[in-house]
Amino acid sequence: MTKFLQTLMDGMAVGSLYALIALGYTMVYGILKFINFAHSDIFVLGAWISFTVASMLGWAAADAHAPVWAGPLVLLTAMAACGLVGFTVERLAYKPLRRAPRLNVLITAIGVSLFLQNFGQLPFVFGAQPQRMPSLVADRVLASFSGVQVRLVDVIGAGSAVALMVALEWLVFHSKMGRAMRAVSYSTSVASLMGINVDRVISFTFVLGSALAAAAGFLYAMKYPGLNQPAHTTWVLLGLKAFVAAVIGGIGNIRGAMLGGFLIGGIELFGAAYLSPQLRDVYVFALLILVLLVKPTGLVGKAVVEKV
Amino acid sequence: MSDALLQVDAISKSFGGLRAVTEFTLRLAPGDLQGLIGPNGAGKTTVFNLLTGVYTPTAGTISLAGRRLSGLRPHRIAQAGMARTFQNIRLFGDLSVLDNVRVACHLRVNRGVLSAILRSGGSIGEERAITERARSLLRIFNLLDREAEDARSLPYGDQRRLEIARAIATEPRVLLLDEPAAGMNPQEKIELRELIRKVRRDFGLTVLLIEHDMGVVMDCCEKITVLDHGVTIAHGTPERIQSDSKVIEAYLGAPASDLPPRAGGGR
Repeated sequence: MTKFLQTLMDGMAVGSLYALIALGYTMVYGILKFINFAHSDIFVLGAWISFTVASMLGWAAADAHAPVWAGPLVLLTAMAACGLVGFTVERLAYKPLRRAPRLNVLITAIGVSLFLQNFGQLPFVFGAQPQRMPSLVADRVLASFSGVQVRLVDVIGAGSAVALMVALEWLVFHSKMGRAMRAVSYSTSVASLMGINVDRVISFTFVLGSALAAAAGFLYAMKYPGLNQPAHTTWVLLGLKAFVAAVIGGIGNIRGAMLGGFLIGGIELFGAAYLSPQLRDVYVFALLILVLLVKPTGLVGKAVVEKV
Repeated sequence: MSDALLQVDAISKSFGGLRAVTEFTLRLAPGDLQGLIGPNGAGKTTVFNLLTGVYTPTAGTISLAGRRLSGLRPHRIAQAGMARTFQNIRLFGDLSVLDNVRVACHLRVNRGVLSAILRSGGSIGEERAITERARSLLRIFNLLDREAEDARSLPYGDQRRLEIARAIATEPRVLLLDEPAAGMNPQEKIELRELIRKVRRDFGLTVLLIEHDMGVVMDCCEKITVLDHGVTIAHGTPERIQSDSKVIEAYLGAPASDLPPRAGGGR
């Protein structure tokens, strides 16, 4: 029972991060109908910017004690910085291709991804050495029941992730901008004829998705402080799993991405705990194959009939 | 000539070697209700696409209330006061009926991205104003009781009316209706005529109507322009159009002299 609860908690913690990243994939797909493969690199960027900000403010030193507001400050800085990067990438790389075939945009996204990975490794950026993220949240055990430890860092991590998702849900379904996003997602051309500035909605979507990925990056670094260098393969795999989460939930569907994220996190950690930890990636991709076989549109996705 | 609201001067559009519209000219005075007819493929919808900025004219100019529109992007043209419906209904299918109208209300109550995120007190009031306006439009169009349904689940006639409501929500000066009677039954068509007259009167609109249903066109429009193969072949009152030999020829494919009299009277 202890093991089950512990695994469940860990699974949800990891799952909330996958969900945050998956949201960016799914929102961009919903509006532009292409997979932004550079999205996972924004997540990496978020983690590394968090580290850079924290170390610049002197919290990376061994004897440093970060104040309570350190976490929120670093989180918001990373979100703002990554939002700006997302905005810039869209303007420079994707906007000129608005009328180009989708494959061109996809290839460009892969190019942007490679650029961001390797640019981050340059000595004057983040460098090619792994670093250790300072702990900005006291690693206290809040409660302990029947051997299961509830840690502050996990509570804060999952809490922030869920809060961001609730905020996003509200934004998309109950605000003016969200309504415009849904309209553009349904039909770009009709939305523009109703007076919606489509380019602005697209920019906003990129900023929003990138900020969420940055938050995931920060929370990931809090939970797993050993930061690999930006082009390390572990990052690629994490981004890929978040993408899988978006596909499993039904790409283009915001609630689906959240569900997919938690599902992936759960299956990965339960598989690792009860079957074999070496195969943890296998469970995720096996689930993907299963979903694609049984319900190719994803769990929450709707089949779209293309008119001929 | 100076009191024209919409002035279209000799616009042309070619797709590769195909001339879809050739030197189309039109002048709408405020409050006009004009018709645009022509056989299938005559270029009527292309004219609408040119007017709304979906296509950029290869030549010619369009101006609305003295402001030049040709070359502007569609959302700018919508801002300038042009709204349209579509021949094949193009609602935001998975948005609610209310949201379809609310999204079109955004145009006139615009406070930018930042306040949408920060949601200052003003933007809450703004949201309320949008909802109120959208509901009052739905009431006029008899759709208020279905506001929570997805637009795609509405019956056909309701979807057509919702499209008109959505277009009017952008507070246009010129409303372009692309075959609003298509697929409607006779009773709905009669109601539609009433509705077109009503919205034109109540909202002070200037209307350009594409319609295949001659009953609706001849009954509603004061003036009619006839297109064939992208070229304007006739322009005038319904009576004149009905007896115009070129129009009859375009519709029936034979010179008017070969046909019995009064062949163009419609259904």
